[in-house]
Amino acid sequence: MRRDWDSFSFHLAIGIVAVLALVLLVAPTAIVIIVSFTSGFSLRFPPPGYSLRWYGELWDAWQLHFAAMNSLKVAAAATGLSILLGTAAGLGIARSQRASAKMLDSLFMSPLVLPALAFGLSALMFFSALGMPVSPLTLIIGHTVVCVPYVVRNTVAALSQLDPTLLECSASLGADKVYTFRRITLPLIRPGILAGGFIAFMSSFDNVPVSLFLRDAATDMLPIRSSAIRWCACPMWCATRWRRCRSSTRRCSNAPQASGRTRSTPSAASPCR
Amino acid sequence: MPGGHRRASSAFLVPGPIAMATTATPKAPTAYDLKLALPLGAFLAVFFVAPLAVLFLLSLQSDPKGTSYGLSQYGNFLGDAFSLGVLGSTLLLGVKVTALSFLLGYPVAFAYTRVGARLKSLIILIVLLPLLTSVVVRTFAWIVILGRQGIINSALLSMGLISTPLKLLYTESGLVVALAQVQMPLMVLPLITAIGRIDPNLTDASAALGSGAWRTFFKVTLPLSLPGIIAGSLLTYAAAITAFITQSLVGGGQMLFMPMYLYQQASTLQNWPFAAAISIIFLVAVLAVVTLFNLLGRLSRGVASA
Amino acid sequence: MDFSRRQLMQTALTLGAMQAFPGLSYAQARPLVFATFTGSWEEAHKAVLVPAFRKMTDNAQIVLDPMLSVDQIAKVTAARANPPIDVMLHDPGPALIAIADGLVEPYPVAKSAYYKDLISEAQVDTGPAPFFQVVGLTYNPEVIKTPPTSWADLWKPEYKGRVGITNLNSTLGTGFMVEIAKMHGGSEANIDPAFAAIDKLKPNLAAVAANPGALATLFQQGQIDISPGNFNAIQILKAKGVPVEFVAPKEGAIAFKTTMHIVKNSPNQELAFKLIEAALSPEVQATLMASPYLIVPTNGKVPMTGEIAKVLAKDTDELKKKFVFQDWKAINAQRSAWIERFNREIRI
Repeated sequence: MRRDWDSFSFHLAIGIVAVLALVLLVAPTAIVIIVSFTSGFSLRFPPPGYSLRWYGELWDAWQLHFAAMNSLKVAAAATGLSILLGTAAGLGIARSQRASAKMLDSLFMSPLVLPALAFGLSALMFFSALGMPVSPLTLIIGHTVVCVPYVVRNTVAALSQLDPTLLECSASLGADKVYTFRRITLPLIRPGILAGGFIAFMSSFDNVPVSLFLRDAATDMLPIRSSAIRWCACPMWCATRWRRCRSSTRRCSNAPQASGRTRSTPSAASPCR
Repeated sequence: MPGGHRRASSAFLVPGPIAMATTATPKAPTAYDLKLALPLGAFLAVFFVAPLAVLFLLSLQSDPKGTSYGLSQYGNFLGDAFSLGVLGSTLLLGVKVTALSFLLGYPVAFAYTRVGARLKSLIILIVLLPLLTSVVVRTFAWIVILGRQGIINSALLSMGLISTPLKLLYTESGLVVALAQVQMPLMVLPLITAIGRIDPNLTDASAALGSGAWRTFFKVTLPLSLPGIIAGSLLTYAAAITAFITQSLVGGGQMLFMPMYLYQQASTLQNWPFAAAISIIFLVAVLAVVTLFNLLGRLSRGVASA
Repeated sequence: MDFSRRQLMQTALTLGAMQAFPGLSYAQARPLVFATFTGSWEEAHKAVLVPAFRKMTDNAQIVLDPMLSVDQIAKVTAARANPPIDVMLHDPGPALIAIADGLVEPYPVAKSAYYKDLISEAQVDTGPAPFFQVVGLTYNPEVIKTPPTSWADLWKPEYKGRVGITNLNSTLGTGFMVEIAKMHGGSEANIDPAFAAIDKLKPNLAAVAANPGALATLFQQGQIDISPGNFNAIQILKAKGVPVEFVAPKEGAIAFKTTMHIVKNSPNQELAFKLIEAALSPEVQATLMASPYLIVPTNGKVPMTGEIAKVLAKDTDELKKKFVFQDWKAINAQRSAWIERFNREIRI
């Protein structure tokens, strides 16, 4: 009886806090979604009425499309570069006990800690000293610097979950390193890489300070556009975000199943265990 | 914190080190060459360390015109109680946000590992939501929630719990909650990984030996998930203290934290050397805190494997 | 082996980036870059100024790069030899910083067709002022039934917890402080009375916003009902159906010169000059004065009409009488000390 109460109170407490946390996580987004359906001209909650007008407006707002295209391209390029460099670096440092690996790890994390504004300004001074004018290239480089830590961190985490026995199995069965990487390591750490890439993509997409200083005038960026819209308090922006939310949540809702699989696959498929 | 994951994994998944010891080759097939980290190392050396060096040189200028060099900007900051106060309150803000994210995020991560696939998808979707909304509209949402005629105040008023609206917006508590909401994914994702990796046999054993759910949680689950707690705390901490836009818009114009201080000096006042010194001091202070976290992590590993 | 594969992929990625951004790989004559302000300014300039400029220059290429004044200076300072901006738009404080730092070219006054027509306050040879910004009081007419008439009304006890101001990072916040100092016997040189007055304002303060844009949101959510505000910003909110009204206080509305500057070392000096000429021209100024832009003209040949004539001034003479211009040289000299003091003292 005491045992039941103990278990019950524990699960109740965990459940209550978890539900509270989930409500907290959802609330701001829910408000944004509701406001994007306003029929009024201004951001006001609750909206005076509901309509799809801002989604229609959005369709017509060519400059937003233009900015969104640029943001997407830059975020995609920076994420691609981050995944390439970050995954390799993660592989390199994850299982090394050497002091140099630890130092590299700190280096890879430090862009996360320097305020983006300071990085944006000093990077602009640096590029300018090199005689490199701001361009989409400088912008992609800047975004990659601030996004790559997420990929490194997640790759390292995924690798530390990876059972080394699997790699030894593969090696003892005669597979070479590249083959083992492609057929064993990569599939198993892919969820980690994708999670890191996803966070990197979103943080690139939403980055203001670095974009402000490293873009050229022709490369209009969505977040900068959004801060412009903030001044005139336009509900259209809410609509933009929500559209993006819907498309990207579809992508990331696959993540849990994927990460669930990581844990189950090794034990189920490991012949050496 | 990578150390946390790695050592923990070898402590719990015992086959790792043993197997490694049996394969006598100096290069175990499980270890990848450190050279793989070189491209990123080179990339960051050129595009992060070099700009950082530019920033450091700038911070050595005694005045914005650069007529003389010295450490006077650092002296100005470190000898000023107000500036030190800003630094202190920023570092403390990070601790509060991290603590709240942890208290709220841990049960979410714990619940995630105990529910079915459908609920798992739902939880992960909700956890990722803050990453999907822009900082600008999110700020607006917080005004709607915390404002004088906001959702919380209206609810409390209509329930008769208060007679005049509470001041919630532009307070530090409001800011801590808003930041915790934004940064929670960074806390929850590593926690999910860490809790999910705990061998269920251990908790079963604890229960079989007569421990209740609470005792098992505090004596087994929580200590074993420490590597995840540390990884999540580090990411949350770093993100919370550098979140310039949320800090200034939800915190209001009279609450000053390091990123805003830096912006004031660099942009409004064009005092770049002082701004550069602020960023370097901030970077060093945060790295010191991170090192402390890591030390704790090392201690905790001792605890966890004991 | 996998190293070379990675190199291969990087090359592919670079090629892909070039595909996505034509013009990435080679330097080319770039279009004129005009750093305007965000929001309504950008809309107005895109709709009126840019077409006029194109007509004048036989369709020369131009792009707008909207950002805050201080960020323009930061961006140009960081890349002085190779500035990413050709024409800057500035509030009075930042303009003086840009001039003192040697970031701008003197305006070729002799070549200009319109410079001599500007009212004297707008004739600045480091960069003329094609526009004025006007700051007065903003209030919510649904809550405040009798319109305020003076800055002093903000201190009325009935507005307890209803007043919003901004901190001194913004031109608006700084100009407001100077006006408050003047009201209490101070001046640009003596700001003490303003700090004393703001201290007394604390019970009334609902919010110290981080920037003027945040005030708009606070109005819409009923967080504040009265604040200092920018005429243009208020007109735009009003047009969107937000219940706000603008009123010029009897002490005089604050007028800020908004100046345009040719950036030193810009590769597009001639086009930059043409853009500023277009902004000074009576045609552009008359169009910008009309709804929905409602920007106060500085060219004396443009007669005041519409909402501006109704709310602000009938003609340039009245404008000079009713507007207060502040000494930004004196303000800039102490602004850093003021900001520091505001940081330390104003805690609500």
